[in-house]
Amino acid sequence: MRDASALTVGRALPLPAAATRGVWRRLLKRRSAQGGFALASLLAMAVIIGPFFLSHRPEQTNPAQKLQPPSFSHPLGTDQFGRDQLARLLDGGRRSLGAAMIVLAGVLFISLIVGVAAGMMGGIADTATMRLLDVVLALPSIALALAVVGVMGVGYWNLSLALTASSWAYYARLARSCARLASARLDVIADRLAGVGWPRVAAGHVIPGVAIQLLIVATLDLSGVIVGIAGLSFLGLGAQPPDAEWGAMLAESRLYFTVAPWLLLAPATAIFLSVVAANLIGNALRDAADTGSAQ
Amino acid sequence: MHTLQINRINRTNKGSVGAVAASLFKRCAQILLTLLGASVLIWAMLPLAPGDPALRTLQALGLENPREAEVQAMRRELRLDRPLWRQYGAWLARAMRGDLSVSWQSGRPVRDELVKRLPATARLAFVTLLMALALALALALVGAAFAGGWPDRAMKLLTQLGASAPAFLLGLLLLQFVVPRSGVGRVLSSGTMADVWLPAFCLAIGRASDWAQLLRAGLIEALGARYTLVAAARGASKLRLLARYALPNALLPFLSAVGTGVGYLLGGVAIIEAVFTWPGLGGYVISAITARDLPVIQGFVIFSALTFVAATMLTDVASAMIDPRLREAARR
Repeated sequence: MRDASALTVGRALPLPAAATRGVWRRLLKRRSAQGGFALASLLAMAVIIGPFFLSHRPEQTNPAQKLQPPSFSHPLGTDQFGRDQLARLLDGGRRSLGAAMIVLAGVLFISLIVGVAAGMMGGIADTATMRLLDVVLALPSIALALAVVGVMGVGYWNLSLALTASSWAYYARLARSCARLASARLDVIADRLAGVGWPRVAAGHVIPGVAIQLLIVATLDLSGVIVGIAGLSFLGLGAQPPDAEWGAMLAESRLYFTVAPWLLLAPATAIFLSVVAANLIGNALRDAADTGSAQ
Repeated sequence: MHTLQINRINRTNKGSVGAVAASLFKRCAQILLTLLGASVLIWAMLPLAPGDPALRTLQALGLENPREAEVQAMRRELRLDRPLWRQYGAWLARAMRGDLSVSWQSGRPVRDELVKRLPATARLAFVTLLMALALALALALVGAAFAGGWPDRAMKLLTQLGASAPAFLLGLLLLQFVVPRSGVGRVLSSGTMADVWLPAFCLAIGRASDWAQLLRAGLIEALGARYTLVAAARGASKLRLLARYALPNALLPFLSAVGTGVGYLLGGVAIIEAVFTWPGLGGYVISAITARDLPVIQGFVIFSALTFVAATMLTDVASAMIDPRLREAARR
């Protein structure tokens, strides 16, 4: 049984991963994708390794240096507690962009399992899952996210959970239809005929292809997730003080706008640049994936 | 979301009116079942969230420290002493009659609180929708008419920028930098038509950009189709080609995007209302979330789900009105 899959024709057939390799190459040829990747890696680098080069800690207050304009020692100025705005911007970026990654990873994980399981099992399990997804999809995603935050309470992790809960259903439906298409493929049928159990067929033959499809859609949605996190955090539903987060920083800086307008511009620019980077990559990916598909 | 299903009907029914009616009936039954399922999800917020609904209700009604007997009485009144499925039944029966319990903050009926704020939200959403549709249509037509030329490139740049500008960020920057200096609009909104333009503009930009890109692509595809070529060969003017031949064909995917866009719009309204202190449902529900005022949140979710479903159905009907092929398919 263990060697069954090696004996089938399945391995000889091109896997979907081979088909999507072209997308990657076409994507990297596009100028907007190059710009998007450059911007995205710049932001990611700044957020991940930037804080190690700063002499100020994001939570370090200094009552003598409240609301200072940008200067050499504080390039983006200081906030109402004398905390260095640049340090908070980078620290906040870890939370804002980190939450987007957490949400997408969670959504992909859940929807892959649910969608592939439903699509491959078929029958009553499939029907039941589809009806459940219909129900979840009848609620607009932000309303669903607000409901989850209402039940769980505000906070960084709860907001991430809420955004995951509000968008997994769409991906699960996509994963299910991709998995149904995949289960009609020759390599999958051959594996099943050879007696390989469906969890193993799923892991070896179905999930890799479906995951790529979901990843493409997730990239298109990335900017929406970033905006969602920043927007809801701005309203006080996400990270709570003293934690820095771009949306929350915007909300705080609003109170001091007349004396320190630079406090508002830094997180606003950061959010905008992240969204631009995500959109550039997403749009290029949409075009690259479109020309590649033979549909 | 719910894609168009009017064309997917049972084949044995030959009568044209009967077939359409049957497919409509099937669709309505499906929607009702889905809404019933959604009601279970919405109700489940109550038992899932921490806090005793009976106690919170009594406190909202003005009893700071209710006696145990009073809490028990309220539990009986709200049917909280029954098994879960009967609690749900009682909740659903009350919700169907429009009784959404009382707000845990104010003690007033949730329905009254929502109805009071609905006009302001409806005004904002309506103006936003019209603005987004008009902008999208204008941009897409210009882009498709001058495909490849400078108006097209300008439109592309504008829509890419527009799609990248989050509504709440745009609103915030406008409020802080433009409004106090230019005297356009007001920082504290009254919720009337006079103040609606700024928040509606912020909200409309993102949708308009998305929709314009989609419609432009559809228009250009339709302009390259054979029927347009034939029409051009017969001497149709460029304007006529665009408006009479390309637009109706490009309108269908655009319409379904608008239908689902209404769902985003509802979410966007919640955020933009809080930014502009617009006295509508959205700002209200955000404050309810911070206060863990569950009945109000439930009321908002019910309202959004109903609006969303209604918008999707309207889109389906509009698509069938525009595209004779869909009507034909339903008759066959």
